[in-house]
Parts: sequence; C-alpha cells; structure tokens
Amino acid sequence: MLARHAEDLFWTGRYLERAEDTARLLDVTYHGLLEGGASDAPMAWQEVLDALQLSHLFRARHRHVTAEAVEAFLVLDESHSSSIAAAIGRARENGRNVREHLSTELWEALNSTYLELRADGRAQELAAHPHEFYRRVRSRCQLVAGAAAETMPRLDAWRFLLLGRLVERAEMTCRLLRVRAPRAIGDEHQDEIHYWLVLLNAVSALESYARRFGAEITPAHVLELLVLSPEFPRSVLFCLRAAEAQLGALEGGVAAPSVRRALSRMRAELEYQDVSVLLERGAEDALERTRRGIALIAERIESCFFATGPSPERHVYESI
Amino acid sequence: MLTGERLSYERALGFDEAVDSQCRLRPHYAVLFEELARLPPAEIASRERLRDAIFRRLGITFAVYGDAGGLERTWPMDLVPRIIPAAEWAVVERGLAQRVRALNLFLDDIYTGEAAALRDGIVPRRLVVSSDGFVRQAVGIRVPHGARCLVAGIDLVRDADGTYRVLEDNLRTPSGISYVLENRAALARVMPALSARHRIRPVHHYASSLLASLQSIAPRARGSSPRVVVLTPGIFNSAYFEHAFLARQLGAELVEGRDLVVENHTVYARTTQGLERVDVIYRRVDDGFIDPAVFRPDSVLGVPGLMGALRAGNVGLANSLGCGVADDKAIYPFVPALIRFYLGEAAILPNVDTYLLWEPEQREAALARLHELVVKPVAASGGYGIVIGPQATDEQLEICRKEILCDPRAWIAQELVQLSSHPTFIDGRLEPRHIDLRPFVLAGERIEVVPGGLTRVALPRGSFIVNSSQGGGSKDTWVLAEPLVH
Repeated sequence: MLARHAEDLFWTGRYLERAEDTARLLDVTYHGLLEGGASDAPMAWQEVLDALQLSHLFRARHRHVTAEAVEAFLVLDESHSSSIAAAIGRARENGRNVREHLSTELWEALNSTYLELRADGRAQELAAHPHEFYRRVRSRCQLVAGAAAETMPRLDAWRFLLLGRLVERAEMTCRLLRVRAPRAIGDEHQDEIHYWLVLLNAVSALESYARRFGAEITPAHVLELLVLSPEFPRSVLFCLRAAEAQLGALEGGVAAPSVRRALSRMRAELEYQDVSVLLERGAEDALERTRRGIALIAERIESCFFATGPSPERHVYESI
Repeated sequence: MLTGERLSYERALGFDEAVDSQCRLRPHYAVLFEELARLPPAEIASRERLRDAIFRRLGITFAVYGDAGGLERTWPMDLVPRIIPAAEWAVVERGLAQRVRALNLFLDDIYTGEAAALRDGIVPRRLVVSSDGFVRQAVGIRVPHGARCLVAGIDLVRDADGTYRVLEDNLRTPSGISYVLENRAALARVMPALSARHRIRPVHHYASSLLASLQSIAPRARGSSPRVVVLTPGIFNSAYFEHAFLARQLGAELVEGRDLVVENHTVYARTTQGLERVDVIYRRVDDGFIDPAVFRPDSVLGVPGLMGALRAGNVGLANSLGCGVADDKAIYPFVPALIRFYLGEAAILPNVDTYLLWEPEQREAALARLHELVVKPVAASGGYGIVIGPQATDEQLEICRKEILCDPRAWIAQELVQLSSHPTFIDGRLEPRHIDLRPFVLAGERIEVVPGGLTRVALPRGSFIVNSSQGGGSKDTWVLAEPLVH
C-alpha cells in the first residue's frame, strides 16, 4: 500500500487509542478522588499531567492545577494536540485522508464520534456528568475499534491501524505506571494502594487483577499484570506480542529487519523478566527504558515504512 | 395551480417538468405525487432530518471556497426526485454519445491527426491555438481508442418548449458522479415507498464501467489487470470526497503527486514495499499542475517527469492532457458543425444560441442587448465569472462591456435560457425551482452514458444559478426503465 496511507492509518490508530486512554485516566482520577476524599486532589491531577508529560504545556495556559483546569485542558482544548477533542479530530482527519481504505462502517463510527464530540453543549455535559462523558468517549472509541475489527479485511490497512493502537497503548501503560513507581515500590501506604486501584481501574484491569491475585494490591502484582502478562490485552507484553504478529504479517514486513529485531528483543526481554528482579533494580528505570524502547520501535516503523518525504506534524509525547 | 388535500403546487413561467402549461400533472409524475400526498408536513420535516443525518454520518460533504461557514457542508438533496421517461431519455442518450464521440474525434485530430477541422475551416485555427485549454506539449501523444476525454460531463438545460439543449461541455475533470450514486442510495433509504413504486434504471454499476474504460487505455504490454490510481490534489480540494469515493469504488489507490515518482519514463507509486509501477492515472488535477517540470514549476500537486512517461507510452492518463480546448466556450458554438464534419450527422441535441464576441458584427449586436443576455468567460467553469444581464446592475453591465471590448476572445454571450422548473420542497411545501442536468458519459473502447445524471437545483426563488459551488441543491434523477402502466 501507499507509504503515506500506511502512515495515516498508523496515526489514526495512535490518536484513537490516545483519546480512549486519556478519557480512562481522567475518569478514574476524578472518581477516585470523589470516593477517597479530596485532600490530595492537586497532587492527583499533577500526576495525570506528569504521566502524559504535559505539565509544561499546561502551565503555559493555567496557573493552578485544579480538576476543572486539567479537565478543560485535556478534554476540549483544541489549541494543543493532546486533548481528547484534538486526538479524535486528528484521528478523523487522518481517516479522511485514507477514506478509501476504511470500510464504510468504520468511517461512519469514526465520523459520528467526531461529530458527537463537537456537538453543542459538550462543555456543560462534561461539567454536569463527567463520568457519563468519559464513558461515552471510551465506548465510542471501542465502537470504532469494533467496527474496524469486524469489517476490515486482514490486509495491510488493518495491520497499520492496529499497529498504531498497540504502540500507543503499550507506551501509555508504561507512562501510567512510571509516574507512581518511585514512591510506590515497597511502600504499602494506604494512599499508594488507592493509587494502584485507580490505575488498575483506568486500564480496566481491576477485575482481572482480583481474579488472578485476589483483593490484596501489591506493586509486584500490578507490574506483573500490566507489564508482563501475556493474557491481559492492555499489558505491555501483550501489546508487543500483538504488534510483532502484525508486523510479521505485513507485506514486506520480513524485509524490515531493524524494526523486527528491536521489537523481538524487547518482547523476549519482558517474557523472561522476573518481576522481583525488576523491582530490586528499580522499576522506574526499567519502565522508562521500556517506554523509550517502544518509542524507538515507533520511530523505526516510521522510517522503514513511511519515510518518503516531509511528514506532517505529529504529536509524540516527549520524555520528561 | 395543482391542488389537493395535502399537496398544492403553483407552476412558474417556462417549462415545468412535472406539470403542463394548464398545470395538469404529467403522466410520469402521477405515482410520485400520489405518494407525496400521503405525507403530512411533519413527516416531510422528519424525513429531511433523516436525510441530513445520513449525509452527515457518511461524511458526504463538499467544500465551498471562501465560505467562512466552515470547510465542509452537508450535501443538499431535495426529497422530490426528477423523473425522465424512457423515450425522452433515449433521445438524450443518443445525443450525448454522438456529441462526445465527435468531440473526441476532434481532440484526437488536433493532437495526433492532421487537424482536418482546422484545415477545412470548420473551426478557426486561431481560436484553437489561442485557447487556454490547448496544450502544445500534448501534440503527438497517442491515446488508445482515441478516448482523450474518457469521462465527460455535458450540462443540459430545457428551454421554454422543453427542448433539451447543451449549455456547456465539461471535458477536463468533471465532478458530480459520486453525488449521483449517493443521492440514489440516500433517497431509497429516506423515501422507500417512492422508489419501490417505480422501475428506475440503476446507476450503481458506474465504478465497474469506469474501471473498464480506464483499463482500456493502459499501455498494451501491461497485461490483463493494469494498476489504476486516482490522482487528487488532496484533502482541501472541493471534490475530495468524490475522489476518495471513486478510489474506494474502483479499488484503486488514492494518490497525491508526492506519492508518485517517475524513473526512466515510467511512473511508480511509493509504497510500504518500495516503488511499484502504475499503469493508468485517473487524474483530478488540472492540466497546468500535472507536471511541474513542464508546466507550472510551483505546482506541488503534480508529478515531475509525467510528460516523459506519457510520451513514451508507459502510462495512461484520463482525461488526457489538453481536453480543455474542446470545452472552451469559444469552441462550443462550433460543436454542431464538428458533429456534422466528423460523423456526417446532424446534432441531436442543439446548443443554446450564442454570440461570438470576437466577430465584430455579432459583438455589436450583443453589446446592444447585453442587459438581456448571459455573458460567460470562455475558460472558467463552476459558474464563476458569469454575468446574467437581466439581473445585473448598470454598473456591472458597464464593467462587463469594457472587459469584452478589451479582450473579445475571452467571452461569449448567450440568450438567457428560461431553465425548466421542478417541484421542490421549500419549508415543507412544494415550490417550483429551476434545474439543469449534468449527465456523465464514459468513453473507452465504446461510449457509455450513465442513465440520468446529476440534477442541480437553484434554491432561491427565480434564481438560475445551480452550481453547487454557488449554493445550489440537487435531486436524485430517475430514468424510467419503461413507461408506467396504470
């Protein structure tokens, strides 16, 4: 397929995943605070900004870290490219660029998601019923993903779309874990447990966690599930394995040794990783290394499959 | 005036498609009106909302340049379809095929033949060589089957007698076919009872016909399934929706200039697996932008080196370069003569009476009654630059007069055609609105006319401006398979 189209599909996948993940993160943060008392609210919101590496951008627009300011910044503010509205807008813009590769059902789902988010009264809705709003963003993104899964032929267009989602998701999971890692590891304080609960909720992992490890929340088990689990669909390892499979199935994918090598090495590393060793050596470093590795894989995918000229401006989160 | 319990309709001056001069319903509209009369006003409004929702959800939009209201506007389709009886269409169809055949013979003769029509004085040579649409660099480039204009859109109007006349030819990159197909699909969903009670000739096979035509101009050595791409100027072009629509239906890649590269006079697409050869380009980029190495060097829409590949016969291009010389409005008055010259037949579809403003006598006559005529720039399309005499101010007419005297070759003047009108829903009531018709004609190994075409509607009362770029609406257009039996 055309290199430019592959790139647009890859980024459609990334932006969609970004919108969904941001909605999840905001939802659980907001409701976590409601349920757990509002004493450390500014810190919780600061952590959201840190996780997304957007603190600097936020400070340029807002003086105080409040729920309203962070939500306004991350949901509807289209003056930067990391808000949910901007991500959906860009996913749709990229999708429109490759409209002929998308099934009509997929395009309709994407387009209605975009239109719904731009409808009048969304700011009021967000203020009145934040949970309903975030739930809608999440379920809309899942509808798009479902329409894609059920109607797209398993050819390169589908594979690049999925690769974009997987890469973004793996990176996001690392980012979420990393923010709390330094203070949480080895600390059983109630607040920390609360944070892990929020995090597990954010990635829809609480039920899986409970089924596997019971009700006791430990950092080791959280890392085990969200980084090393081969079964949980939002774990880093799961995403890498899935990405590796898609990459191998690409037409000409075998002819992309540098991407495959980097991806396989990282996947193998995680497969043989012992979580206690990971904690001993410092989870923060390990997670940051993994996140950088994923960012590097994304860069290699770009240069290997898309590099044909000046590419459009894309938003990649920067390192702290 | 036609009156009923729920439906009344007062005709306008000129020819009305649905009712005769005594305001009696024409027979082929009887069933349609019977169905429409069943709908209470509230129901019409709710159907219109459903229609808008469908178009919005599908993203069926078009852009209006210079419109502050936003980049995309939902496609406006009226819920009352236009109906053309089988016998009436048969004549139009023959007339269109005849015209496109003659125009292609003319083009092929200019670019790769002996220019017989110029030699024999059918068309003045100076009009051809001075035409903006004439592309000197295309002389000598051969096109299989002489299908130089592979997709033509011929704009038709009906005068006060109901006679179909050709208003203008669009032989470069005519757009609108996607709306023909989408209108059909949408109307069937919104007004199923209407569609169900008529036998309508289908249009949904258009893409397979287009693909066959495109493949027929591939370089001969390229085997049985040549690779076709659609070349678009990009997402900001007003017809981008259509480009993507056609690419999807053709199963072809939608490419921009930057996706193509020419090496050794061969065109390749940049793919995820490196360069892959391209055999046919269905381009929706204007002539002047197609190859920055030959034409406008500032164009980023084109493909450097494409001319060389065309010359070497390594790639097919549709429409081929230089078709604009035949749809130049200064050449238009000569088309009936060209039909006679190349085919030995009388033109089936007449032109609109036209003044050649570079002829001193005709210019004098036209300038004397400018306030009654329509003045058009010869090289523009989309309704841009047109001056309608009866609706223009004295000041506008004076400017127009000066411009004509300054460059007579750049303008033509035509009798104002009282376009036919058609019942159209305006705020839930049927009112007459003026319409035209753009049928689409495919050339290749043979000529094929798509049944019907795009009916455009001038939405303001009394207006004659139907162009969608100027805020016009549209109608699904039905060609009946056979006369209705009551």
